[in-house]
Amino acid sequence: MNSNFSCKTCASADQKLETFISNLSVDTSHHRMEGQSVKCGFGLQGICCRLCSNGPCRITPDGPKGVCGATADTMVARNFLRAVSAGSGCYIHIVENTALMLKKTAASKGVLKGKVALAKLAEIFEINEADEHVCAEKIADMVLADLYKPDYIKMELVEKMAYKPRFDRWKELGILPGGAKSEVFSGVVKTSTNLNSDPVDMYLNCLKLGISTGLYGLTLTNLLNDVMLGEPSIRLAPVGLRVIDTDYINIMITGHQHSIFSYLQDRLIQDDVIEKAKAVGAKGFKLVGCTCVGQDLQLRGEHYKEVFNGHAGNNFTSEAILATGAIDAVLSEFNCTLPGIEPICDELKIKQICLDDVSKKANAEMKPFVFEEKESQSNEIIDAVIESYQARRGVVTLNMDADHGNDDTLTGVSEGSLKSFLGGTWKPLIDLIVKGEIKGIAGVVGCSSLTAGGHDVLTINLVKELIAKDILVLSAGCSSGGLENVGLMSPSAASLAGPKLRAVCESLGIPPVLNFGPCLAIGRLELVATELAEAIGVDLPQLPLVLSAPQWLEEQALADGAFGLALGLPLHLGLPPFVTGSPVAVQVFTQDMLNLTGGQLIIDDNAKSAAETLDAIIEKKRKELNI
Amino acid sequence: MKRIIIDREKCDGCLNCNIACISAHEEGSNFYTVNMQSPEAETRNFIKFDAQKGYLPIFCRHCDEPECVLSCMSGALEKDPLTGHVQYDESKCAACYMCVMNCPYGVLKPDKQTRTKVIKCDFCEDKPDGPSCVKACPKKAIEVKEVSL
Amino acid sequence: MKIVIIGASAAGISAAKTIKTSEPDTEVVIISKEDSVHSRCMLHKFLGHERDAKGISFIADNFFESSGITWLNNTTVIGLDAQKKTVKTHDNQDISYDKLLIATGASYFIPPIPGLRESKNVYGFRDLKDAQLLDNECNTAQNAVVIGAGLVGMDAAVAMLERGLKVTVIEMTQAVMSLQLDQKSAQAYQQLFEEHGAEFILNDKVVSVDVDEVGRGKTIHLASGKAVPADVIVIAAGVRPAFNFTEGSGIDTNHAILVGDDLKTNIDDIYAAGDVTGIAGIWPNAMKQGRIAAINMLGEKLLYEDRYALKNTVNFYGLTTLSLGNINPEPEENCEILMREDRYNYQKVVLKKGVVQGVIIQGNIGGTGFWQYLIKNKIDVSGINKDVFSLSYADFYDQDQNTGEYRYAV
Repeated sequence: MNSNFSCKTCASADQKLETFISNLSVDTSHHRMEGQSVKCGFGLQGICCRLCSNGPCRITPDGPKGVCGATADTMVARNFLRAVSAGSGCYIHIVENTALMLKKTAASKGVLKGKVALAKLAEIFEINEADEHVCAEKIADMVLADLYKPDYIKMELVEKMAYKPRFDRWKELGILPGGAKSEVFSGVVKTSTNLNSDPVDMYLNCLKLGISTGLYGLTLTNLLNDVMLGEPSIRLAPVGLRVIDTDYINIMITGHQHSIFSYLQDRLIQDDVIEKAKAVGAKGFKLVGCTCVGQDLQLRGEHYKEVFNGHAGNNFTSEAILATGAIDAVLSEFNCTLPGIEPICDELKIKQICLDDVSKKANAEMKPFVFEEKESQSNEIIDAVIESYQARRGVVTLNMDADHGNDDTLTGVSEGSLKSFLGGTWKPLIDLIVKGEIKGIAGVVGCSSLTAGGHDVLTINLVKELIAKDILVLSAGCSSGGLENVGLMSPSAASLAGPKLRAVCESLGIPPVLNFGPCLAIGRLELVATELAEAIGVDLPQLPLVLSAPQWLEEQALADGAFGLALGLPLHLGLPPFVTGSPVAVQVFTQDMLNLTGGQLIIDDNAKSAAETLDAIIEKKRKELNI
Repeated sequence: MKRIIIDREKCDGCLNCNIACISAHEEGSNFYTVNMQSPEAETRNFIKFDAQKGYLPIFCRHCDEPECVLSCMSGALEKDPLTGHVQYDESKCAACYMCVMNCPYGVLKPDKQTRTKVIKCDFCEDKPDGPSCVKACPKKAIEVKEVSL
Repeated sequence: MKIVIIGASAAGISAAKTIKTSEPDTEVVIISKEDSVHSRCMLHKFLGHERDAKGISFIADNFFESSGITWLNNTTVIGLDAQKKTVKTHDNQDISYDKLLIATGASYFIPPIPGLRESKNVYGFRDLKDAQLLDNECNTAQNAVVIGAGLVGMDAAVAMLERGLKVTVIEMTQAVMSLQLDQKSAQAYQQLFEEHGAEFILNDKVVSVDVDEVGRGKTIHLASGKAVPADVIVIAAGVRPAFNFTEGSGIDTNHAILVGDDLKTNIDDIYAAGDVTGIAGIWPNAMKQGRIAAINMLGEKLLYEDRYALKNTVNFYGLTTLSLGNINPEPEENCEILMREDRYNYQKVVLKKGVVQGVIIQGNIGGTGFWQYLIKNKIDVSGINKDVFSLSYADFYDQDQNTGEYRYAV
């Protein structure tokens, strides 16, 4: 007998995980889907407005406008811009923290593991400085200076970061962003009660937020982290629930800010700390990856072989990871840390500590990271985790699944490591594309969700369809977590690819789905795309490159999506982003965007037809490039 | 016969039943795509609100003694002897609206665009899962139950 | 048991259906003058060529066969012998019955105006036969005159406008449909009809009709001195219950066949329902009477209590109106009259001591069915703390917990 709250869990593309979760005695998001299966139609269409006390107003046949006169078009646009602003704010928070961390690390002459990344940034930022710490501090200062500009002063690094044809187009459209934090502010103000009512103006604003989100929140966060934490390098690594080793004190990390763990992860493998672990009967400490920060650690795993045991799963696997009983503490610093883990932590006596005050969990200890106190904070954390370990191990039943996941997921792919792999030039890849051995590239990015068929169902099915059509898939975000756990990032997955892509993969010993890691690495995909476009001498929209966020989940994903559209790329989403109640929104996103940026939104929750649409776009672009 | 049984205490006035109804009668639409602004968008169920009583879901009862059928002078409204549901044949309807006048519960209404037909619950007879409104109710304030005639 | 029903309109058909549904073994014979069953409320759709004869039927194609009902069509009943329990038909058949339902309806009435009754081109608008004759005339006629601007006259007018005729409507009172509407709501229809080419002469009376050499009325003279040319004339000046054949049968009548609450006449086993009783007035009531008479004939006791007949809906050119009760009260009735109007709607509520006496809802009539309940049950609404125009069934919401049927909480 199963003692969970509701017996029916949602489907998962990860069959083993589905079985594991359906047998759990704790309530998870997979269980809660059934209770939330009836959705609000007004919410789905984005035609509910709660901006004033005359509301909430909804668009109905008898009420075609809100009390204030707002049309469905206005409501949808306001709701959407609000979401994009919030999503942008999240990423800007991350890059701000990361830049501050780099600044303080550099100022305190801390270790900078990524020399290549440092040199690259110095070159982009046009900094001529021999001392690496001074150089790094200047880089951080330049980033922070841009972030803190008012919205009426354009950020200076945009032109340095962006591909020139894109920059020129953005300038023409008037969507070059001012200070990234202020742009979030403007987006929120615009969408307040009875301010902006012009949907087109608001969608252009979304593109502007997309640019600041993408270039700063994504791309720069990666590069700044690389400077501090080391560049990714390609390797095979274990993934899934199997990575949890019960002999160790296990800390699950969730969030998006790898640098917050920078000091701690080194400290955990120092002798005195290992001795502390041994004193309570463990072999030492291990970090278990979960969500994007786990992906980031996996990406740079080459530098953290000892402390990092591997990535266990994405956001909607986090409850299952905890339910193994072998996790002794959760350290979280940002989303996607589900509130659903809280009762599980309570029940299984798992210590929760939050390291960033924007993401305090209700029953967690709050310990905002302070750079100057990182030594003492780390010691306090270590002691708290040991205490938790002692209190729970032997008391809490373990429920391991050593069979889940695999040992040969190819990880560590980045714009740098991939280029090195290809011999320091993009030419081999371009040649394969020109010859048609690789028909095109699909960036399958974004989140994991439980909709569109279930946990990762659409993502996995779409990727299978795409690789079968000889389209190389690059993944970044929680989508990677699902793809790796089902084996699509293992070299053996080449057998699922179309004959041409399969041959390429087998000759190189790589899977047809390349793992770029966290959602932040969407910025790395942009770097790859830009470098490819540069090498070929075309603009981004001309590349046989498509984006898909099949199971986009949250506001951050919408800001990412706005970046994709600003880049002029076709963007597929499995489910509409709550805009279909507005004819203007549908027109702008699916048609007019082609003339604005070259981008286009495609909504389709069917893997097969979505893949066909994306394939057709790639074919069309190939034809236009005469290849 | 099957009737939609209402537990009005559970109703939150979310109007999902309205959307479901409109979508069920817009060929090929779903909750994302149903056009709420279409001139043809008509709901067959209604949620009224009263400060004292709260939300009052008004759904066609497919009455045991249907006044609408008795008042129909074209034969468009008939009570199906097997299902007990009041069926409406638009092609027969003369749009006299005697049924609108005679429904004591104010469920029936003329179509707003052409005033050539009646908008009436068909119990989603063509849908294998039964009434769309019931499926769409997040609170289970409406449920299909068997009642004896 | 053998039940004979005279008349195949609302009351007759409704009775036959009720009998066959509850006691399929009962023999049912329907005798009707017409050779079709049709809804008189749809005659204008036939005349306007919107529907054919079949299209204005209100029963299924095979209704008589599938229900096992004998239908003697084209048959007029000319006599009734209540002692022998037989009816005599025009072709001299004597048809026996155990129980008899008289549902012969009413027939139109041509006022005794010089020239009018004599004119061959004067038609009523009551049965399909009338409509078929009119239909023929419309093929050649140019000028149509409708005498009487009640619902029937307006129906005829709208159909003939549809056929492209020049239509003049002559009405004694000062407004169209004066039984159903007030001045304001009538004006809206008059305007719509005028926009479609109709001409109205109100507050006037036909005094004579010039008949030509072949017996057709050509010019209509009015009290005002006006003269209106006519190729075809429709008389819509009211109807009279049709029960000539009962003469000498012993059935009590007074301009109509008199019935009790069980719809039985003064003679056992003889019932009457529909327009012939003078208490129906309108289709839904005739249907209900047919049903109740049938139930009583079958031996159960059910009383006709829903005598409320001051009700109607109007739908011309997409303008819909609901009219209930006393809508044009006299000053001495001391009623309170409330009105509300916007671009698309006109609403009027007549109240007396908190009880709704009458309602006109013009425009959006969706969900207005509850008003009839309030009026006919004399519900006092003064205690409801709300604008009377905002009332709906929700204010009286109640449910039977077992069956889920709605009730009125009053």
